[in-house]
Amino acid sequence: MTTEVARNRPPFWRDLRVLRIVLQLLALVGAGVLAYVIWFNLTNNLRAQGIRTDFGFLDQPIGVQIPDSALSRNATVRQAFLVGIKNTLALVVVGLPLLTIIGVVVGVARLSTNWLAAKAAGLFVELLRNLPPLLIIVFVFRAVILQLPPSRAPITPFGWLVISNLRITVPGFEAHDGYPAFQVLMGIALLVVVGAWWWRTRLSDRTGVAHHRVLWSVGLFVSIGVVGFLILDRPFGLSRPSLDGRIVTGGFSGLGGYFAVLIALVIYTASHVAEIVRGSLQAVPKGQTEAAHALALSGFQRLRFVMLPQAMRIALPPVINQYLNFTKNTSLALAVGYAEITTLAFQSIGNGQPAPQVIAMLMLIYLFFSLTISLLVNLVNRRLQVVTR
Amino acid sequence: MTSVDLEPTDAGRHIPAKSPARWVRRNLFRTWYDSSITIGFGVLFAWVLVGIVRFLLTADYTILRRNLALFMLGSFPRDQLHRPAAALLMIALATGLAAGALTAHRREIAAVTGVGYQSSRVIDVVRRFWPVVLLVVVLLALTETITPSLIVVGALGLGLIGVWAGRRIRARFRRLAWAALLVLPFLVYFMLAGFGGVGWRGWGGLHLNLFVTVAGVLLAFPLGLVLALGRKSSLPAVRTLSVAYIEFVRGVPLITLLLMGVFAIGFFLPAGVRPGTVTRVLIAITVFESAYIAEVVRGGLQAVPKGQVEAAQALGMTPWSIMRRIVLPQALRATIPAMVGQFISLFKDTTLVGVVGLPEVLSVAQDVNTQPDFVAQGLERLTLPFAALIFWVGSYTMSREARRLERKLGVGER
Amino acid sequence: MRRTLVVIGGICLVLAACTQAADTTTTTGENGATPPAGETLATVQDRGTLNCGVNEAVPGFGFRDPDGNFVGFDIDFCKALAAAVLGDPDAVEYISLTAQQRFTALQSGEIDVLIRNTTWTATRDGSEGATFLHTTFYDGQGMMVRADSGFTAIEDMANTSVCVLTGTTTELNLATRFGSTPFTPLTFDANDTLQAAFIDGQCEGWTSDKSQLAGVRSNFPEADGGPEGLVILDETFSKEPLGPVVRDGDTEWAQIVDWATLAPVIAEELGIDSTSVGSFADSDNDEIRRFLGLEISTTAEDGTVTVSTFDPGLGLSPTWAVDAITAVGNYAEIYGRNVEPLGVPRGVNSLWTDGGLLYAPPFR
Repeated sequence: MTTEVARNRPPFWRDLRVLRIVLQLLALVGAGVLAYVIWFNLTNNLRAQGIRTDFGFLDQPIGVQIPDSALSRNATVRQAFLVGIKNTLALVVVGLPLLTIIGVVVGVARLSTNWLAAKAAGLFVELLRNLPPLLIIVFVFRAVILQLPPSRAPITPFGWLVISNLRITVPGFEAHDGYPAFQVLMGIALLVVVGAWWWRTRLSDRTGVAHHRVLWSVGLFVSIGVVGFLILDRPFGLSRPSLDGRIVTGGFSGLGGYFAVLIALVIYTASHVAEIVRGSLQAVPKGQTEAAHALALSGFQRLRFVMLPQAMRIALPPVINQYLNFTKNTSLALAVGYAEITTLAFQSIGNGQPAPQVIAMLMLIYLFFSLTISLLVNLVNRRLQVVTR
Repeated sequence: MTSVDLEPTDAGRHIPAKSPARWVRRNLFRTWYDSSITIGFGVLFAWVLVGIVRFLLTADYTILRRNLALFMLGSFPRDQLHRPAAALLMIALATGLAAGALTAHRREIAAVTGVGYQSSRVIDVVRRFWPVVLLVVVLLALTETITPSLIVVGALGLGLIGVWAGRRIRARFRRLAWAALLVLPFLVYFMLAGFGGVGWRGWGGLHLNLFVTVAGVLLAFPLGLVLALGRKSSLPAVRTLSVAYIEFVRGVPLITLLLMGVFAIGFFLPAGVRPGTVTRVLIAITVFESAYIAEVVRGGLQAVPKGQVEAAQALGMTPWSIMRRIVLPQALRATIPAMVGQFISLFKDTTLVGVVGLPEVLSVAQDVNTQPDFVAQGLERLTLPFAALIFWVGSYTMSREARRLERKLGVGER
Repeated sequence: MRRTLVVIGGICLVLAACTQAADTTTTTGENGATPPAGETLATVQDRGTLNCGVNEAVPGFGFRDPDGNFVGFDIDFCKALAAAVLGDPDAVEYISLTAQQRFTALQSGEIDVLIRNTTWTATRDGSEGATFLHTTFYDGQGMMVRADSGFTAIEDMANTSVCVLTGTTTELNLATRFGSTPFTPLTFDANDTLQAAFIDGQCEGWTSDKSQLAGVRSNFPEADGGPEGLVILDETFSKEPLGPVVRDGDTEWAQIVDWATLAPVIAEELGIDSTSVGSFADSDNDEIRRFLGLEISTTAEDGTVTVSTFDPGLGLSPTWAVDAITAVGNYAEIYGRNVEPLGVPRGVNSLWTDGGLLYAPPFR
């Protein structure tokens, strides 16, 4: 009986197992043929027009100068791209923390009991969320940055800033003699801090006293730093930008285009983050709020100890998405001439580098950024996962 | 602090009060830092508001008046303007018909289920769509002849006639009203380009933005659907290909795809096939949008309870039949709010096609500042907010409607 | 085991596909139809209009006036070409293109000819699928600064910022010219943002072809100092020969465009202008008679008189030159109408007999 059943297999054209394999083969073959045709056309067309088909263009001289970089026009395209990546990172590294802070503040303000603050936050969010980021960038560039003093006549407010619409220079970091020794000292301080953390935690576990480990660690670190600073006779300081005709020495400067893109994208993405934060605060179960209120926690304590921690867990995936959007939107700096990688790619293509390879490299760089940010934040997310009861 | 307010107050609810004075004191001046925030913001608001109002009242709107056609239609030949006008009237009529059919449909269902149905009055519709009304009023105020106003009035009239007629269509023919809405984009294209009209090569301005958005979504939807089904498939090869495509396209900015389309697509095609710029942009946008639509559809597919599929299998339906009759209708219904969100997102992203040279609204807003009569007068402070108004109205209205729809369909998820 | 065999079979299928040559020559339909090589003339004549790729933002060369009409030096050459090929100078569809789109549009067949202040370079001839015809305007790259800045030479501009449009030869020439002098180049992808940056002082210099700078300068508003508030430095850093461009692969069309855009130069050499073009019926200058398509009677040794009109075999009607000159005039008239108001003297754009570079091949 069982052998009869086993032999009763459907014909091969209806047999699911065969169909599965055939369909997958078809899909693979189809994709393979498509990829091959594209590759064939690509190499043929490039060769027909005398354009190189390899990545050797990376060693060609760029021929142009990149503002605010040490590269001459004989530097290779590869070096130019590295400068571009550094410029993009300058936007991302400064922008992501800023937009998080602004987004959380505005999101919380939206739920404030102060009617004016709530309405102001609401206006900010509803206005910026519905505008295209490119429009905000162009507007900030033309109506804000370009209205600063012209580059031939910068102003120096308070004596510590140099501002023109070309470049904004703020006091920067300057290492004096003794800085290496200071670094060694701070390395030792770090070890001390780790030890203190461990010690206080152990103490708290054993005796039950409050560990105050953050206070201890930060306190120790700061006091060692201050002592070291005094002993080593000012190992670092603020470098004050000085203006000499047109040359600004010292300080930390950013081009007008950089600030336009930074400000525009920070407020745009912050408006999205604010909306997410508001939604996640409202998603915290009402019972939590009521219980906190019953325990006579003040508004701020309620927010800090009860609501925000829970809200952040809900908010994290959409906020990761917004971080990725911010990173991808930095490509819009093309419109204001800030030399990040998309602008450089556009320039290179215009100056004769082979377009398919340049754009392929550009895409891979962005993919790398996207995947790295996703990975990092997913690691954090996993640590924060709360086991639901 | 503890005496008067016993109710929890942080969910955006403001403290009700018996008199305006008490309201002000509770909501604006509760504590000292509350008061300082109020005063600080109040002063800031007043200053900004006064500045904006003063600017708007004293600005010279000639640049907008003279170039309004450029903003709306790009360089569409001025002697063929009857085509967009006719297209607008057609859209009004078709929308009215569909709205009327929907109202009749809902009323019938309400009658059957015993739930009350309240048809909306005109004043409610106006209040609901106030940004659109504002935009139309602003645009009409900037026109130089009476014709556009007449066309708008005509469109409104046709819309109302459509609603009236739609309500009277029998149930059997209601599907035609919906189908008409789907066929509408093609009809509009035909009206603009057929019989010696202007093909999409010559379109510009807001018209181009809308065209790229609608065409992009229409073209990307089938591809996105296939990708979503592929991603859910149990065949590893198909699933890997779909995932690779989706993750790749979602990880790169749209501008890189546009650059690839404009500069490099010529190399991927056989020699001799050289599409024009608008075609290339459409290809790039279709590729981009299909990955996002695939994710939206995937979310919708996940929202269909497993029990549905199991019940269908128990009834002996084939997998294809299950997909077609049970899963997809429910899944697609669940995706509607997210799809609208994607549509809005694409509408805002169409500003990027200006970077690769097409004359869409934002690039027109910047270009008009180089005209000899308007150069170097700082008028971008007028043209850029004008373009911003157009985008804001479209985006805000659509996102509000999407939220309403979400609430109505009950598929809202955090 | 069976699965492995199936996979190997699949790989063989793919390899088999690999060995086939994919040879498809297709033409796209509707928008973007590339006319088959060698048939552009027929396509243009069938269509009845000439698709001319132009600029709409450069006063004097390719510009759209407030009424929406295209005017300029390059526009006039489009008109001359349309008059020569179709008999009607207004049978032109002007398609305004950005610097990035122009070669794509030419390759795709959207335009029949590109007359858009495009510089002739070897790379463009070789790699862009384009054929450059003879130069109509010999230009050079220059630098424009504010008159009150006091700059007179590039060396004065150390440590300043200079605005430049990206993706053009201008960027490379700028970097080469500055060499090791430090400066900050600001590259923009569109002229409007660049102009705003220059006007608001973000950059102190604007570099581009001198003809474009002259156009911008002539339009500079009085509120900011007017044209006198700007000065174009004397130095020319590069050669920028501007001329019409056609697609590779259609020699007949290339020759037609070449001669049609040479006609104004020939007319100026022969002393013909738009008003006098009808008055040469009795001329005894054979070249004028050939050029204007007038009948030439030749008497053979045995006394037989043959009357013929000269046909060089370009595929145009005998009165092509008359139509072109009547429509736009000779080179001096075109220049005088469009470029002289910008304050750019003819300089090297004069006839060879006046010491310039305009030298037309003989029409015989």
